[in-house]
Amino acid sequence: MAKHSPVTGRFVTIDVDGCEYKVFYLQNGQGTPLVCQHTAGCHNHQWRDLLEDPDITQNYNVIAYDLPRHGKSDPPHNKEWWKEEYKLTAEHFMKFIVKFCDALELENPVFMGSSFGGNVALQLALHHPERFRAVIPVEAAEYAPGFYLDLWRFPHANSAQVCASGTWDLMAPQSPEKDRWLTWHYYTQGSEAFKGDLYFYSVDHDLRNDLGQIDTGRCPVIMMTGTYDYLTPPEATKATASKIPGGIYIEMEDIGHFPMSENYPLFKVYLKEALHIIEGRTDD
Amino acid sequence: MAANVRDWAIKFSEASDNDPTIGAMARYFTCTYLWDMGPVKVIIEMVDGKVYRVNIDPGGLDAYDFALRASPQSWREFAQPIPKPMFHGIWSASFRKDLKIEGNTLVLMQNLRNFTVQFELLRKVGVPV
Repeated sequence: MAKHSPVTGRFVTIDVDGCEYKVFYLQNGQGTPLVCQHTAGCHNHQWRDLLEDPDITQNYNVIAYDLPRHGKSDPPHNKEWWKEEYKLTAEHFMKFIVKFCDALELENPVFMGSSFGGNVALQLALHHPERFRAVIPVEAAEYAPGFYLDLWRFPHANSAQVCASGTWDLMAPQSPEKDRWLTWHYYTQGSEAFKGDLYFYSVDHDLRNDLGQIDTGRCPVIMMTGTYDYLTPPEATKATASKIPGGIYIEMEDIGHFPMSENYPLFKVYLKEALHIIEGRTDD
Repeated sequence: MAANVRDWAIKFSEASDNDPTIGAMARYFTCTYLWDMGPVKVIIEMVDGKVYRVNIDPGGLDAYDFALRASPQSWREFAQPIPKPMFHGIWSASFRKDLKIEGNTLVLMQNLRNFTVQFELLRKVGVPV
């Protein structure tokens, strides 16, 4: 008898700013949609354990997509994308997420993302509070300069290994070796998109003057960061959350920048706390 | 101190040469680098994945591709079995602590996978400061 996972994968085609994207997503569960964004230069397998966790999927419809140019989601099919440098902007990133949720007819989803996915979660809370039940920015901050570097795609080095080993110690040494090496493996696969993703992460994303406008009455914001994250250290997330009226910060002990992928059992403890807070703040 | 460093060099070389993760992708792991721990400096010469030489008393004109410099306290933190946050890698320590990475960093990037594994061997063999 075949050992099939309950997780299923599908493609959906959407148009964002004239770009035709054939988007791949993984799905499992029922109930409140929980839309998950992977980290920069990676893909949706970072959410592999969450997708198969019945504790969560019994009440949440977990959906983890590959952002275009990542994993199984191609660059736009109707553009000569190879003729221009990829630089992800906040505007395009948000439009993509809203269009994706619209295409799947998701009602009041919770949006959760890590790293650049966490930063876009903050952007969504500010610009699209009506579309999301709540956001969970993981390893996020109001501003995250310093990682938009040429070395990620330098032609004289093996970019796959530079991206994978360059992000290695974003993970905590306590995290299981098997899961850290799986995350390393995923990072070898996204090196061409990594730098362009980081344009959003380190350059275009800047909410230093906007956090006070986030309405957590409409869209609660629950931020979580691991103590081993050197890129968005706990103090950066804590300071960000404190500037959001009603913003909540949860510190995650002994975990790093890829918590859902490097140590899911530990991440789950904090995720359940975040979901519990959201359930208490929303009506249905 | 010299005997201590010599013993450390032997221990480190054995750990590196026998490490299966380095061994799995060792063929082109060839570079020379300096670890500056304050009172102790070593130049490690890697050839095809093996420690070819550890210079435990480098002179001012001895060559290397790139260097890692930090205080002895930081090196001792790097060598803890489970380092504290921000002492757990060369990126974290260079972003948030006193580690400086200098020289031809392209060579570091070309060997980053194995160098990272090798740096973490300090958690097993310790440091001579």
